[in-house]
Amino acid sequence: MSVTSEVSTDDNTITIKISGRFDFAEQNEFRDCYYDTSPGENTQFIIDMSGANYMDSSALGMLLMMREYLGGNAANISIINCSPDIKNILTVANFQSLFTMD
Amino acid sequence: MNLSGGATDMSENMPLSSKMPTVLIADDDIPNRLVLQAILEKQGYCVLQADDGVQAVDVFSREHPDLVLMDIKMPNMDGYEATQQIKAMSTDAFIPVIFLTATSDSKGLARCVASGGDDFFTKPYNRILLQTRISALLRIRELYSTVQYQRNKLDNHQKRFDREKQLAKRLFANIIETGSLNLPYVQSMLSPMSLFSGDILLAAPKPSGGLHVLLGDFTGHGLAAAIGALPVSSVFYGMTAKGYSIAEIVTEINTKLKMILPADIFLAACVIDLNPGSHTLSIWNGGIPSVVIYGEKEQDITRSLSPRHLPLGIASDESFSRRVEMIEIRQDDRIYIHSDGITEVANPDGLMFGRQRLENVFEKNTDSAELFDEIRSELIKFQDGGAQQDDMTMIELRYNQQQLEDTVFHDKTQTKRAVQPSSEWDFSMGLSADLLGCFDPLPLLIQSVCDMQGFRGQRQQLYTVFSELFTNALDHGILNLDSTLKGTADGFAKYYMEREVRLSNLTDGSIKIYVAHQPNAEGGLLTIRVEDTGDGFDYQENQVSLESNVGHSGRGIQLLNTICEKIEYRGNGNMLILSIVVQKRNIPVAFEI
Repeated sequence: MSVTSEVSTDDNTITIKISGRFDFAEQNEFRDCYYDTSPGENTQFIIDMSGANYMDSSALGMLLMMREYLGGNAANISIINCSPDIKNILTVANFQSLFTMD
Repeated sequence: MNLSGGATDMSENMPLSSKMPTVLIADDDIPNRLVLQAILEKQGYCVLQADDGVQAVDVFSREHPDLVLMDIKMPNMDGYEATQQIKAMSTDAFIPVIFLTATSDSKGLARCVASGGDDFFTKPYNRILLQTRISALLRIRELYSTVQYQRNKLDNHQKRFDREKQLAKRLFANIIETGSLNLPYVQSMLSPMSLFSGDILLAAPKPSGGLHVLLGDFTGHGLAAAIGALPVSSVFYGMTAKGYSIAEIVTEINTKLKMILPADIFLAACVIDLNPGSHTLSIWNGGIPSVVIYGEKEQDITRSLSPRHLPLGIASDESFSRRVEMIEIRQDDRIYIHSDGITEVANPDGLMFGRQRLENVFEKNTDSAELFDEIRSELIKFQDGGAQQDDMTMIELRYNQQQLEDTVFHDKTQTKRAVQPSSEWDFSMGLSADLLGCFDPLPLLIQSVCDMQGFRGQRQQLYTVFSELFTNALDHGILNLDSTLKGTADGFAKYYMEREVRLSNLTDGSIKIYVAHQPNAEGGLLTIRVEDTGDGFDYQENQVSLESNVGHSGRGIQLLNTICEKIEYRGNGNMLILSIVVQKRNIPVAFEI
């Protein structure tokens, strides 16, 4: 199990924690983390990469799927605690223009 | 159309149906047979009978029973022989044969097994035991049939899949042609992980001279990636041949991919334009690792151009950024573009090659001609038999002005229709300041002219003429750019930067383009007049400035001189006339500026 999600007590933040390899094998687990949520207008999604050591381009695709599902430009998604390698993969693809990154 | 040849024989190996199995009893002793028949029929089996071995083989071949009960001693042919023949007839399926024997002598039993028997049963019969043995063997038969059926089905699927893959591969190779990668100044590698690579590498000469290159990396591999590659290559080749800029090409590819691909599939791509006329490299990079420029003079990395944009197929038309960077490039400088598969090559311990190791190869190099091979051999050495993670794609382009200018542009855009009869036509186009800042009319103009008169094989000439005339009117007439700027070492880049700035701030001025065709005895005469609202210049006093004013680097005016009969300025210098003779198949052209 390398994808877990938790909902904060005030129901305004949903944190998805990724650990290990973030790739196509995690597709269903990752999708389930946001599919069944009923986000309000101010719901903030946080993807916590602190446990992730690798991501591939299909994981980038999964992030795009999530963004689209949550309303495209209206989606409020932050990606936090990226290792330098993962940060590099995200910035080469210029994902900082689509997601909030620390 | 049925492509799954051989699928029809599958039915023979379908798992046994729900109908009760048929049992063949071969025994010359009639009372024995009747006892067995009674037992079996009570169980619901269908029963067939044979008096001897010959008859048993005959009934078996006609009726295909599911199980055989075989007596050993029978007239004409004994049970051993009959069993051998029955087993030889049913190599594809498992038909259990149970020997019925009076003795339990081990030699005789061994012979039962040797002749193909699956079990033996000693007389007198215990009804319960016999039933158990029969149903156990029938279960094995059923299992065997199911496995056989599934295996055949898989076999057929595999064959069909292989055939379709081969067909698709051929189609794919025809469409994603990479002929222009065989140029003397280009080295490349493309090692696909699967039959359909997720990476694409395209190169095409421009009608105006120079080269467009696209290196792309789709999310994932295989068919999905291959399908996306088709529109990418057709847009890239088609628009390059028609004279579109890389900014327009990436915009079009992005629109197409956004339309056809699901949200999670995109194309990281780097598109470059090598321009030998201006010694510049234009680049649009969306999601491809930094492009490296290796200076021949410095023997070191002089520039690293990081990706500035989102990959293609993600941004909507409104938010898509087509901004292209332009840098100066010098003779024999080398350009390296690679997919992330290069730096993600892993050794057997799972360690990745990484950017640093790649840069180390550049650093250690002492002969730039060997660089490409050094990178390749370092990668293979590091990989050390480890599994390839991604497609490994890399291209090296050595900037050689002469070779680039000599690169032949093949016009594949025109259909092989008959040449239209030489006819009379004309059209004009007016472009105001706000349009001049964002629209390049050349591809449209050339396409229109080619469509109306079918100037087969003359697209490059037409492109050169139109491009020189229009650029002259825009750069000098409207934007008042000083072409002496281009005389200095890094002048070209400065010139084009200044051009960008002035173009984006343009509020006044317009350009009128008039094109007419008149048939004559030799074929026809094409007249092109480009007129700008600029101040012009004193052409009567200063005929020399024609050379510096038309085109850049002097190449333009030389070309125009060879193509045109007459070149003549009019008005206050914001109009110029050229005339050209074109043969029946090589239609003559006259130009006015």
